[in-house]
Amino acid sequence: MNISRILLPFVALAAALHAGIADNAVRTRIAGIDLIACKTGVKDVVTFCGSLPAGDSFAGSGNLAVPTLVGAMLDQGTTTEDKFAIAQKLDSVGAELEFAVGGTLVEFSGKCLRKDLPMVIGLLAEELRSPAFSEEEFTKVKQQLAGQLQRALESTNYRAGQAFSEAIYQPGSPNYTPPTEAFLAAVKSATVTDLRAFHAKTYGPNTLTIVAVGDLDVAVLRAEVAKAFAGWTGGGAKISYPKAAPPDAERDQSIFMPEKPSVTVILGQASGLKYTDPDAIPLRIATAILGSGFTGRLMATVRDKEGLTYGIGSRVGNDSFTEGDWRISASFAPALLEKGLFSTRRELKKWYDDGVTSAELERTKTNLTGSYKVGLATTDGIAGMILVTVNRGFALTWLDEYPQKIDAVTLDQVNAAIKKHLNPDNMVLIQAGTIPAVAPAAKK
Amino acid sequence: MKLRLLFGLALLSVPGLRAVAAPAPAKMDGFTFVKTAGGIAEYTLDANGLQVLVLPDHSAPVATFMVTYRVGSRNEGLGVTGATHLLEHLMFKGSPAHNRADGTSIDQLLERVGAQYNATTWLDRTNYFANLGKEHLEAYIAIEADRMRNLWLRDSDRRPEMTVVRNEFEIGENNPINALEKEIYAAAYAGHPYHHPTIGWRSDIENVPIEKLREFYDTYYWPDNATVTIIGDIETADALALVKKYYGAIPRSPHPIPQVYTVEPSQSGPRRVTVQRAGQLGVVAVAHKTPAALDPDTAALQVLGSILTSGKNSRLYRALTDKNLTTSVSADIGFFHDPSLAIIYASLAPDAKHADVEKITLDEIERLKRVGVTTAEVSSAVNQMLASSAYARDGAFAIASNLNEYISAGDWTLYTTLDDAIRKVTPEDVKRVANTYFVADHSTTGWFVPILPPEGAPLPPPPSTATGPISR
Repeated sequence: MNISRILLPFVALAAALHAGIADNAVRTRIAGIDLIACKTGVKDVVTFCGSLPAGDSFAGSGNLAVPTLVGAMLDQGTTTEDKFAIAQKLDSVGAELEFAVGGTLVEFSGKCLRKDLPMVIGLLAEELRSPAFSEEEFTKVKQQLAGQLQRALESTNYRAGQAFSEAIYQPGSPNYTPPTEAFLAAVKSATVTDLRAFHAKTYGPNTLTIVAVGDLDVAVLRAEVAKAFAGWTGGGAKISYPKAAPPDAERDQSIFMPEKPSVTVILGQASGLKYTDPDAIPLRIATAILGSGFTGRLMATVRDKEGLTYGIGSRVGNDSFTEGDWRISASFAPALLEKGLFSTRRELKKWYDDGVTSAELERTKTNLTGSYKVGLATTDGIAGMILVTVNRGFALTWLDEYPQKIDAVTLDQVNAAIKKHLNPDNMVLIQAGTIPAVAPAAKK
Repeated sequence: MKLRLLFGLALLSVPGLRAVAAPAPAKMDGFTFVKTAGGIAEYTLDANGLQVLVLPDHSAPVATFMVTYRVGSRNEGLGVTGATHLLEHLMFKGSPAHNRADGTSIDQLLERVGAQYNATTWLDRTNYFANLGKEHLEAYIAIEADRMRNLWLRDSDRRPEMTVVRNEFEIGENNPINALEKEIYAAAYAGHPYHHPTIGWRSDIENVPIEKLREFYDTYYWPDNATVTIIGDIETADALALVKKYYGAIPRSPHPIPQVYTVEPSQSGPRRVTVQRAGQLGVVAVAHKTPAALDPDTAALQVLGSILTSGKNSRLYRALTDKNLTTSVSADIGFFHDPSLAIIYASLAPDAKHADVEKITLDEIERLKRVGVTTAEVSSAVNQMLASSAYARDGAFAIASNLNEYISAGDWTLYTTLDDAIRKVTPEDVKRVANTYFVADHSTTGWFVPILPPEGAPLPPPPSTATGPISR
């Protein structure tokens, strides 16, 4: 129930820290892997993360659930140890290691004490290289995944997000979330043979990135990575998505869910922008002025002045690897839904028609550069930003240049980006919850 | 409080901390040095009894300032449930000196400088905090001190904020597990105010008058009912000087701060609740009464919770999740000022039966009570918790947030000693606390039973409830 993630997206927007991350970070290619190490003042703790391109979009024309299932099987045992033995090794020293599968990437993250880094790197390599893919564990993973998906259907946020994705992205896009029923059917029909084939084709060191931050010895880390991943070959899937027009979806969609007294609303469109496009940062700044924080226009009016919602905000996202989206997200009680939508559209129109002011721009610039500094005050913040930055295709120096890039943005650039890339008259509106005007028979 | 959070609470004697030298106490006129523990120094502001905790940490050019008021939903009574939380929201509405119209509000100040800030309310406390560049610390302390006694508190602000808070309540109602947790607390507590949710009952949120909120503010928002914590890139003497400059003129409370004296009557039999509403999959939750956070058994109870549900080798993961009866298991071991609950949650897998999952959960608890746990299980659980403690010192804000829970529990120094207590837990301790606290007569069992609504008219609104930390 914590709204601070919506209101304070400081890590997502932030970039470089105080004195030079690029100067502190050591980037080398070891055993084919892009290894980035950054020693900080924290004592004994190492935070690590990493990724490789083997997410859902790499299913291609095959079973669309296979990439997620491969990722879910990574910690279910390897060819040399079962899942309990691996978990025991990690638990016995309090180390953490988790995997997650997204549209483009399989990502991992974790923490350990300095002394345990060699062991954890060894286990990471073992799990990435040699998952057992046992039939017994596969059956369990399929059932657990099916249960998690079924439970997600209870969430208005999940239902609205899925519908929005389907309305603005084509299948094959890393940002496309398939209908849950279709994904469940794919989970059911997937086989271990499918998983093994996908793993052999997609996983490997050539596009693997590992980031480690904290109390580490860079030379020791390099040696451990070299040893653990020695002899592994392959990988190297190219991240390349063709530009696709949004589907011709219904502009207004209502998902009736009984006994959901808060309706989730998403209003937005495909942005047509990648993060590397010149207009990406100006549009982000403009969007922050509309809907970031308590002083953003949406919160200041729709929540603080009119009392219509607990949370409302706008953001640009999903644009690291392909053109992303722009959206306003909000929650409204069914009885206040109509008023809430009216106020939201009013603020959107005003912002679009009149643009933002120079005072708002200057305030938002200091917000972004200030929150950047705060966000990079932890090993988590530093590791996460390094990984995002290199995955977007930037050099590490970009982290240190970010505040200057923000400062350089002009009012004209910001207001032009709004007009050029957005069209409030053609946005998709998704509502999920106990919507008063929608009879259950009409539910999607 | 979630067990997950608790794992991240204890510190200081763990190998894995930022280097924190115990500083010599700073001498500052107007303050009385109280003690130092784990590098954290405690002072009292002589003018008004404000408790001050300081921990310099120069690893990044940021600082966290947090004020913790020792008032939470446990201080509420009939008709004013949720008042602590609603007041927390109104604390951002301004004062004569700091307000939105003049461009001097707390939101305007903190967002301009990119601070991470907010406020939260829970059973025993309310806290307000900002994590920000050290050069902005003084401006934040000034505004935080100002709103301790100079808040406007106008009904014109309450009315629109009431519907904001009501929507926060409604968002909670969207989640069946949240609703189940509220019902469990309401059933487990008959007399003690942990009975009602921190966010309050819906009718109280809607109807509490501004006069009652003013009364609440004037009763509890005083320096002698608060702790300020400053952690980050600042020297102790400088931190104290800022506290004195902005809090020094505030008088202590003109009346004694009222204390909660209600003790929950002893429970003499198992209780059950059922939440039936639209949903997809069921949940079984088994709660047992546990002692207050400061009780010596807290460490062993945390280890017990870990052995039961943390990780693939935990008892209930192996008995339930690995058998495809649940999609997950977890334990919330209460860590509060007064005796609370340890709740085990088992989220049912498709086709699993509530009764089967409940029986296996109880069988595992009984087996643990009868046979005990192994040294290896204890060792693994302890190491996980100690490592998590080290991870939880990653940054000033993380430290302040965790310390906040110990302040509200009644003794911040437990923050510096709980790791040692956890390290000393033995298999015998775990077996003993399981037998002492996990007894059927002190249990409350809850089922969330999902139902598919009939085609036709939407169902009537669900009953209200709520627990858990909630933020502005």
